[in-house]
Amino acid sequence: MDLINILTVILLLPLGSAAIIALFLRRQGKAAAALSVLVGFAIMGLSLYVLESWDGVTLHPTWEWLRFGNFAYSMGFYFDHQAALMLLVVSFVAGWIQLFSVGYMDEDEAQGRFFGGLSIFMFSILGIVLADNLVMLFVFWELVGFSSYMLIAHYYKTDFANMASKKAFIVNRVGDLGFIIGIAWCYHYYGTLDLAELAAKVAAGHALLGSKAAIGIGLLLMCGFVGKSAQFPLQVWLTDAMAGPTPVSALIHAATMVAAGIYFMARVFFLLPTFTQEWIMWSGAIMTAFAGLCALGQTDIKKSLAYSTLSHLGYMATALGLGFPGLAMFHMAMHACFKATLFLGAGSVIHACHHEQDIYKMGGLLKKMPLTGLSFAVASASIAAVPFLSGSYSKDTIITEAFLRGMNEGPQFYVIYGLILFAALCTALYMGRLFFVTFLGQPRSEHAAHAHESSWYMTVPLLVLGFLSVSAGWVVYNWDWAAGKMDWLLPMDTVSVFLDDFRKIEEAAQKEGVAHGLELVAVIVAIAGFAFTYFFYGRAKEGDPLLAKAPGFFHVLERHGWFDDLYDWYVAKVQQRLCDVMAFFDQLFIRFFCVQGSGAVAGLTGAALRRTQVGSLHAYVYWFLAGVVLFCAFATGFFN
Amino acid sequence: MNPGLQAYLTVASALFAIGFAGVLVRRNTLVIYMCLELMLSASTLGLVAFSRYNNTMDGALFVFFIITVAAAEVAVGLAIIVALYRRRRTVQVDQLNYLKN
Repeated sequence: MDLINILTVILLLPLGSAAIIALFLRRQGKAAAALSVLVGFAIMGLSLYVLESWDGVTLHPTWEWLRFGNFAYSMGFYFDHQAALMLLVVSFVAGWIQLFSVGYMDEDEAQGRFFGGLSIFMFSILGIVLADNLVMLFVFWELVGFSSYMLIAHYYKTDFANMASKKAFIVNRVGDLGFIIGIAWCYHYYGTLDLAELAAKVAAGHALLGSKAAIGIGLLLMCGFVGKSAQFPLQVWLTDAMAGPTPVSALIHAATMVAAGIYFMARVFFLLPTFTQEWIMWSGAIMTAFAGLCALGQTDIKKSLAYSTLSHLGYMATALGLGFPGLAMFHMAMHACFKATLFLGAGSVIHACHHEQDIYKMGGLLKKMPLTGLSFAVASASIAAVPFLSGSYSKDTIITEAFLRGMNEGPQFYVIYGLILFAALCTALYMGRLFFVTFLGQPRSEHAAHAHESSWYMTVPLLVLGFLSVSAGWVVYNWDWAAGKMDWLLPMDTVSVFLDDFRKIEEAAQKEGVAHGLELVAVIVAIAGFAFTYFFYGRAKEGDPLLAKAPGFFHVLERHGWFDDLYDWYVAKVQQRLCDVMAFFDQLFIRFFCVQGSGAVAGLTGAALRRTQVGSLHAYVYWFLAGVVLFCAFATGFFN
Repeated sequence: MNPGLQAYLTVASALFAIGFAGVLVRRNTLVIYMCLELMLSASTLGLVAFSRYNNTMDGALFVFFIITVAAAEVAVGLAIIVALYRRRRTVQVDQLNYLKN
């Protein structure tokens, strides 16, 4: 079968499953779950088949979508190496997370709605992966936002979930406003929105990129990324999005959707001028360090992981800003593995402790849940970049590159290096804290004392993804070592999307002779972080030791620097005042002059005309006579 | 001596004026209606006079149609007036002002 047809099937399968669930299976939760998981694994299988039989030549089929007069707009697929990798990551992670959901949601009353939402999310994210132009990408971008909104609000009976879903949706709209203006400007400036044509145009004339318009377009397109990938200053929605069910947090708010922003930036990387890249780099690096620190101030296991996600999105943004989209994609893929494992592990724990999310009410779970504990431990090691685990390949390379830039291009890159190295320390701190408090020590509540290992629905995905968070980086790194034996899965040049950037930095580091030194620093940072948390948090009986020792600092972290309060203040005091002023003008001009004014004119005219209706036949005859006289006067030219 | 066109038109105008004055001053619906018919007849007289003057049959032919239509109109109009009288017990126009109030 034609690859293009298979890609179409991959895209439409989850839409079909969502439609069937929405129309027929809303009350049959188990059937909806089965269908959704089946479709998830079908997508995974088909994606693997596509990658296996694909010869590495870019596929770019298009179909006409809209036609206005002689302006036609087409939609289609742009299946290149980046898309192939993203398809692999999304379909693989999503399939396992859907299987996990079956176990996690087994007692939920609205499984039909949940799995329908997952299916529509799959449809949307696959659309983003395959889209060949910015408008199609934007359409699926919004669909992703919608499905995220729907799934965050799954527990809609709690106020917090409702507010969190609204917050996520509205904050994303702020970013998307910039995005859609950027698309319009892009069309105006480059004359096309097709990714391949845009790339060709930019490649043909590099002078275009220096202009103010190009900078503006780059910044506006970046707005979409800032919203969806929760970058500064729109990062506030991601941590609240944890109000959704844990598999949703794993799939959407850690592994795929927020990473789609990175993917989008890598897709249009040729459109980003230096200024935009620098902006992304700085905001990313600062966010990395700050969010990493904030993760220490959360007692909710999912919130802590959410800040960790923010921190790692910052790493990817830093890689983008340093000019290495392939490296950002590499870290995104590795992050998808270990962060999905961590969230699923957290989900398994939460499920076992009867929806208790406070880590200081858990403890001692390693003995009771060995599989969950094991996968959580290896994923923690991986995210903290312990050597030879997945995280170390991507994360340490980003840190190395920042240091190399510092050596070659100026001290401001040393600041970046410092920030992201500090974030690496924070990673080891908050992951160590989570692991030691949750899995070691004594149980701190009734539920934790009676927890037991989750069903195989949950442990199998945990083990698969946990295995990947150990091995994926090593496999990619040693792809050419396998001497072509792995090419059946991914052509070598597909992997080189990851590896080219990676090798470039590795070679540069070795040439400068700093490779081993930097490696050592990173390892020491990780080990120091874990060791410190073992002694600092490992013995905590109840309550956070940091809260006891430095309550002020802890509260700053807990409120994550009062960003939410700042935005609340802005909306309530500044924006509301502006709205009041506009409401006044609305009342005065629109309501009083336009609506009521025109109504009054019509009313007065009517009142005047009513006076002519006297109800006497003779009066009307006189009116008629007057009309005839007037008409005759006109006809005879009396008025000329 | 044969009367000329002017004589016919004078008579027609006089008839029309009488009819119009009747419509204006009389209060009885039946009389107003008769005056309307008088105005119609005045106009047909004018048509016949012009037709004769121009030596064509167009005007005369037209008059036949008008008379036919007028006959139908009288049937309907008188029926309305009779119905009105049965319902309101009056045919005076100054008492027939229900739409006004």
